[in-house]
Amino acid sequence: MFKSHKKHIMKNSENVIEVENVCMDFYRRDEKVDNLKEFFVRLVKGKLERKKERILENISFELKKGESIGLIGHNGAGKSTLLKIISNIIEPTEGTVRTHGVIAPLLNLGAGFDYEATGKENVYLNGAILGYSKKELEHKYKEIVEFSELEKHMNIPLKNYSSGMVARLGFAIAIDVEPQILLVDEILSVGDENFRRKCADKIDELRRKGVSFVIVSHNIDQVRKLCQKALWIENSHVRGYGDVNEVCDRYEEYCADIKKKAEQAKRAAEVEKFAKAEAEAEAKAEELLSAVLNENSTAEAVAEAENK
Amino acid sequence: MSNKVENTNLTTEEKAELKAENKAEFREWLAFQKKEFVKNVNIVKQLVLRSIKVQYRNSVIGVFWTILNPLLNMLVMYLVFSSMFQRSGGATPTDGETYALYLLCGNIVFGMMRTATFQSLPSIVQNRGLLTKNKMSYNVFPLSYTLSAVVNFGFSFIALLGVMLFVRFFSGQAVFSFNIFLVLVALPALFLFSYGLSLVLSAMYTFFRDIKHFYNVFLTLWMYLTPIFYNINMFDNAGFSASFMKTVIKLNPMYYFVEYFRDVVYRCSAHEGAISGLKAEVANAIATGSNSLAELQVDLAATIEAAQLPGVGAVFTLYAIGGITTLIGAIVFMATKRKFIYNI
Repeated sequence: MFKSHKKHIMKNSENVIEVENVCMDFYRRDEKVDNLKEFFVRLVKGKLERKKERILENISFELKKGESIGLIGHNGAGKSTLLKIISNIIEPTEGTVRTHGVIAPLLNLGAGFDYEATGKENVYLNGAILGYSKKELEHKYKEIVEFSELEKHMNIPLKNYSSGMVARLGFAIAIDVEPQILLVDEILSVGDENFRRKCADKIDELRRKGVSFVIVSHNIDQVRKLCQKALWIENSHVRGYGDVNEVCDRYEEYCADIKKKAEQAKRAAEVEKFAKAEAEAEAKAEELLSAVLNENSTAEAVAEAENK
Repeated sequence: MSNKVENTNLTTEEKAELKAENKAEFREWLAFQKKEFVKNVNIVKQLVLRSIKVQYRNSVIGVFWTILNPLLNMLVMYLVFSSMFQRSGGATPTDGETYALYLLCGNIVFGMMRTATFQSLPSIVQNRGLLTKNKMSYNVFPLSYTLSAVVNFGFSFIALLGVMLFVRFFSGQAVFSFNIFLVLVALPALFLFSYGLSLVLSAMYTFFRDIKHFYNVFLTLWMYLTPIFYNINMFDNAGFSASFMKTVIKLNPMYYFVEYFRDVVYRCSAHEGAISGLKAEVANAIATGSNSLAELQVDLAATIEAAQLPGVGAVFTLYAIGGITTLIGAIVFMATKRKFIYNI
C-alpha cells in the first residue's frame, strides 16, 4: 500500500543496495514523433507502432555497507540506465530496487546547473534538490566553496565559468552532502591534476567513513583500485558478477579477445586483398605473355610462308 | 512483511499485532512523505527566487521593469482604444469608470495567467538536465513558474496602486478602501486556475512540441474574448450575434476573475463615493421640486446596487473554476508522468 516507503526496507539489514531481477524496456519509434503534425500524419498512415527494446535483462546484485562495486562493459550496454534505476530517477519495468540511506547521484557533473544564475545560487538550488534545507546549506556553503577553490567566482553567473570550474563546483556540491551511497558515472577525471588528486583523497576519505560506491568506468585500473566487487554487463545481460579482480580479468580477456579477433579479421582481409591483387597481376602477366607468344608465332608463320 | 501473510485464521492477538504493525508502517510512510514535502517546498522556493533574479539580472532598471511594463502596456492600449471608441459613436466603453484603471486591472489579471501558463508550458522539457540526473518531482517546475507569476503580479499591483493614486488626485474618482484586500481572497483561486492549466500544458508539451504555437494563437484569441479593453455591457442592446457573443464571453473563466478583481479594487468604492453626491442631488431636487427627481432616484438605486461588493457566490465561482482546473491538471499530470522521461 505504501510502496514509496517500502523501498527502504532491506531484506538483509547489512545491505545498502539490493537489486533484484531488474528488467528495463524502452519504447522507441524509428523516428522521434514529438509534434502533433507528425503524430496525425503517422496516425493516418498507420505508422505509429513503436519498437520495444530490452535494455536491461534480469540484473541482480547487492552491496553491503562500505563496499564498492564497479559497473563495467562496453558503451551502450545499459550501465548508466542501471545507475538511474538505482537512484530512482526512472522506474524499472520489472523487478525491485531497495536502497538504504541518502543517495548522491554524481551523474554528469554540472548537468543540473542553471548557467544564467550565479555560483552561489546554484549551490543553494542544487542543495535543495539533494534534499537539504537552507539552514543546513548555510553551514555547508563555506566548505563547498573552500573545496572547489572558487571563492572569487561565486557571485558571477555560471555562463562565465570555464568547464573545469563548473565540474569542480559540481563535484564539491555532490561530495558534500554526506551520502551513504555515492553513484559515480565517469567523472573522476575532472579539473587539473591538482584537483583530481584532491577528489581522489576525498573519495578515499569517504570510503574510510563507510560510504558505499557504485562506479561506472571504462578505466579498469581505477575500478580494480576502488572496488571490491564488479558487475560486467554486456548486451543488456550480466556477463560476470563477483570479485573485482576475477571479473576484470575476464573482461580484459574478453576485450583483448575482441581486439585480437578484430585484428585477425583485419589481417585476413588484408591477406585476401593481397591475394586477389596477386592473382589479378598474375592473370594479366599471363595474358601479356600469351599475347607476345601469339605475336611470335604469327611472325614465325609469316616468315615460314615467305621462305616457301 | 505482514501484509503478505495469507493465513486467514488469525488469532485476535495476531490481528492486533498486524494492526499495530500496519499503524507503525503508516506512521513511517507519513514521515517519509513529510520529508519529501519539505524537500519539494525548498526546491520550489529556490526555483522561484532563481527565476525572479534571472529575469531582472540583465536589465538596467531591474525589478522596476515589472512595474513599468504593465504601465506602458496600459498607456498604449489607452491611447489606441480610447480614441477608437470615441470615433465609433463616442460611447464610453466603461460606463463612466476610469478607462485607464479598467484597462490596467484587466491586463494584470489576464497577464498573470498568461505568463504563468506560457512559462510553465516548456518548463519540464527545459529542465531536463535537472530531471534526468536527479531524483525530483516533475511538478515543482510548473508550480514554481506559476508562483513566480504570482510574485510578478504583486509587482504589477504596485503599478496599479500608483495609477489609482494618480487618478485620485486628478479626477477624484478612484476611492481607496479596504475592499482592495479582497484581492488576496481571489488570488489563490487565480493561482489554482493557472496552476491547473500549467500542469496540463507542460505535460502535453513533453509529447508534442508544436503545442507551443497552438497555445500562442489560442492566448491571443482568449485575450480578445476577455473583456480587457471593452465592456461586456456594450453587447446589451444589439441583436442575436451580440447576445451570442455575451454567452461566449460568459463561458470564459477569465471573465469572472477580471470582473471580480475590478469590483474589489476600485469599482465598488468608486460607486460608494458617488452615492453621497447623488444623495445630495436628490435632496436638492426634492427641495426645489425639480422634474428630474425620478430619474435621479433611479440613478441612485443603480449606484447603490453597483456599490455592493461581490458576495460569497462570486468567490465560490472563482474557487470552483480554480479547483476543478487544478484537479483535471493533476489527473492528466499523474496519468502521463511516467512517460515524461522518455520524451524529454
